[in-house]
Amino acid sequence: MLALIAPAAVTMALFQVVPIILGANASFRDWTLYDPKKTWVGLKHYIEVITDPAFFGLAIPNTLLFLVLSVSLSLTFGLGLALLLNRSFVGQSVVRTIVLLPLMVAPVIASIMMRWMFNDQFGIVNVVLEGVGLPPVAWLAYRWTTMMVIVLADVWLWTPWFAVLLLAGLQSLPKEPFEAAAIDAAGPWRVFRSLTLPMLRPVIVVCVVIRSIDAFRVFDQVWVISGGGPARTTEMFSIYAYVEAFQRMNFGKGSAAALVGGAVIVVFGLVLYRLLNRAVEVSK
Amino acid sequence: MAEVVLNQLVKSYGGMAAVRSIDLTIPDGAFAVLVGPSGCGKSTTLRMIAGLEEISGGTISIGGRVVNDLPPKDRDIAMVFQNYALYQHMTVYDNLAFGLRNRKESEARIAEKIAHAASILSIEPLMQRRPKQLSGGQQQRVALGRCIVRHPQVFLFDEPLSNLDAKLRAQMRIELKRLRERVPATSVYVTHDQVEAMTLGDIVVIMKDGLIQQVGTPLQVYNDPANLFVAGFIGAPAMNVFKGKLDAAGEKVMVEGVALSVGERNRAALRGHAGREVMVGIRPEHIALGSHGNQLEGSVDVIEQLGSEMHLDLKMGNAAFTVARVAPDAPIRLHEKVTVSIPAERLHFFDADSQQAIRPASLSGALAA
Amino acid sequence: MTVATLDTRTPMPHKSERGFFSLMAPGARRAFFYLFVIGVGFIIAFPVLWLVLTSLRPASGMFYVHRGTEFTLDNFFEVFENRIVIKAYINSAIIATLATVLSLGITVTSGYMLSRFRGPIASGWFSIIYVFRCVPYISWVLPLYILTQNLGVYDTYLGLLLPHIAVHICFFSWLMKGFFDGIDPSMEYAALIDGCTRWGAFVRVALPSAVPGLAALAVLCWLWTWNEFLFALLLTSHQTPVLTVVMAQFVHELGIEWNLMSATAVMALGPALLITFFGQKYVITGLKI
Repeated sequence: MLALIAPAAVTMALFQVVPIILGANASFRDWTLYDPKKTWVGLKHYIEVITDPAFFGLAIPNTLLFLVLSVSLSLTFGLGLALLLNRSFVGQSVVRTIVLLPLMVAPVIASIMMRWMFNDQFGIVNVVLEGVGLPPVAWLAYRWTTMMVIVLADVWLWTPWFAVLLLAGLQSLPKEPFEAAAIDAAGPWRVFRSLTLPMLRPVIVVCVVIRSIDAFRVFDQVWVISGGGPARTTEMFSIYAYVEAFQRMNFGKGSAAALVGGAVIVVFGLVLYRLLNRAVEVSK
Repeated sequence: MAEVVLNQLVKSYGGMAAVRSIDLTIPDGAFAVLVGPSGCGKSTTLRMIAGLEEISGGTISIGGRVVNDLPPKDRDIAMVFQNYALYQHMTVYDNLAFGLRNRKESEARIAEKIAHAASILSIEPLMQRRPKQLSGGQQQRVALGRCIVRHPQVFLFDEPLSNLDAKLRAQMRIELKRLRERVPATSVYVTHDQVEAMTLGDIVVIMKDGLIQQVGTPLQVYNDPANLFVAGFIGAPAMNVFKGKLDAAGEKVMVEGVALSVGERNRAALRGHAGREVMVGIRPEHIALGSHGNQLEGSVDVIEQLGSEMHLDLKMGNAAFTVARVAPDAPIRLHEKVTVSIPAERLHFFDADSQQAIRPASLSGALAA
Repeated sequence: MTVATLDTRTPMPHKSERGFFSLMAPGARRAFFYLFVIGVGFIIAFPVLWLVLTSLRPASGMFYVHRGTEFTLDNFFEVFENRIVIKAYINSAIIATLATVLSLGITVTSGYMLSRFRGPIASGWFSIIYVFRCVPYISWVLPLYILTQNLGVYDTYLGLLLPHIAVHICFFSWLMKGFFDGIDPSMEYAALIDGCTRWGAFVRVALPSAVPGLAALAVLCWLWTWNEFLFALLLTSHQTPVLTVVMAQFVHELGIEWNLMSATAVMALGPALLITFFGQKYVITGLKI
């Protein structure tokens, strides 16, 4: 039995557990990359991170806002697409292939596309705005519009993922309750609220838990679209740690930030896991 | 309550015909059982009556109203599904109330109707439970309750007992019979179990390959099967069938070298087949040990002891047949030769080519009427 | 004796409620539906279409992509002349392929164990996997930068491959558990009775049944590794350039040359499209959590 997990356990120990220990060690030291004196400084970095308004005042709230917006929007759109694809119509397979398209696109590429589309001078979005007589917007120059573009990129990337999993969920639902509901004179909205949604709940919860945990560590989209700007206002947790460690060359503080954020998301994840088990249990 | 009329009903999937042409009238208040092997089209027919399958051809009318294009909710029907199809995340009460609420009934009326249905089915203590917390038999009752509260014109049952174990199935069969007295409604019941068909139905409709083989009361289909298929399908153990040849007078039939008298009742009908090959059927329960009248001799191949009776499988030349209702303590040993008597009046005859029954004229006339 | 039965007939609704859509003729309804479907498809596909369009425009047409009618493949030729892009392309492909094979190989047994065995070791392993799945990449990728340098594998295939495999272990073990949960273990019991060892029952009976799931995961794993950015950014440099990093650098370095940018992105999309196109069947049928 142990032999079955040995290769996985060893790889994980070496490349996940050891790094975390190393990171913890580094977080207690003044561990600059170019000058590794490695003086033990105790909790100094942690205090710096926790008291840094750019961390708990900006990076973490930004991350949570991003998480909530991105997950709820892609869940809504994904569910809509899944319901659409669950009907049979001519051209359904074509639409299904199109829906899968964003799944293959690297977040980096998607972000580059968004940057280009929302380019303040030549982006297609502003071209369209001007076309209908509205003034162009310098999208990436303000905090909230930049945030919007980042969320949009993420929603575009992950809606198909929700759609595919929810579609699989829909297709594995038993048919009879829906037939019984047809006889029971339930309208489409009633069927959706009283049957589809409750029956689909375990799948939805699993998807939301997985996506939330992933969304918390978002890096690529923010890095490419805004780099945390303008003026660090869209910086998120991963970017903060990266910037501290590699751009400000304070590896100790970066590690401390990474571990504090890691602790936040692990606790969050365990709470979600409870929720997940409850949802799956209720439906059994 | 209402009459259900199927007129040249057809269902095909692509080129495949599931139901080929069904004509059937189920009188107001009657309990009709559609029975047949899997793939015979019985469930498809039921689902077309429910409105869950589109109709490829012909018409269905309920209470004189053609319902072909009506959605299920407007057909005034209720249906019990094979796996009950209860709404898993709702309480029993909400399950029962679902259809009524959708029809905008007041909560007070709903409570009244549910209380009534619950008392009929004695499921009052289960109201706040969820389906997952119920046993199979209880789920079955709730599914029935969901139909009863609606008080529809027609009840549809899609193999409702097939998920229950044998003992519970026998119990529920009796309860269904009792229920009929209290909640009379035209019913269409689909099953592959001929025992259910015989015990529950006023009318038994035997289907095969998308066509009706015979329609009749349980006794009619048992006593006078219209063809070889019905003869083999209804009754357990199944009817014994031999190849036989009629003599020139049409009064004796040769089976495995033994001449049997065809009996008074069949003589007239068989006259036209004199000298031809026919299939001869006799039910295992009509064969008796002993030597009077028509006799056959066979060696005992298998003995099945049921406690209340024995079944013997006998071998006779190339043929084999079963004898039922042998006294359980009869002194019979394996491979022993036994003589059995075959009552001539109980013989059934079928055309060797068309496999249709060759029936006494009086009977075919009675059925056609 | 007559039982007093309550009259519980439900009145038939006189007219079913009618919404805006059911008032329309069926033809018009269909037209609306298809208009909607086409709109949805267009919105989803638009960013990619726009990228492809941009990659086909000459540098001079960049700022009026929507208006020009001039098309060229020059951007692609120019990108192909860039040695680093080609090198990154090959590196990404090799790393994605190796990571897929190795990740699946390591996690298939782990998932099987999670699915078939009970007890403290199995449940402990499951908890570890779940917790580590939550740990954000940044938390271990920062120290990995130092670890790979100390091990002398920084900026090599191995240095990028091993962290990739490590990060896949948690999620893949979880998914694999799901695949094996869906396979009836009685087949394996039959194999055991027929003289297979436990390992033999796994390899010869359970594994073949899990192939559709594995195929789906292989496609996804390849795509994820091919598309991954953060690990590549931190753990590679000039020796082993990787495509996503090279592209991200373009944005910051030659940010104005959108035509070259798009051509590179379209090139990066190519293999992903191919893999998904051929693997689509598996992804849809095999991916049921």
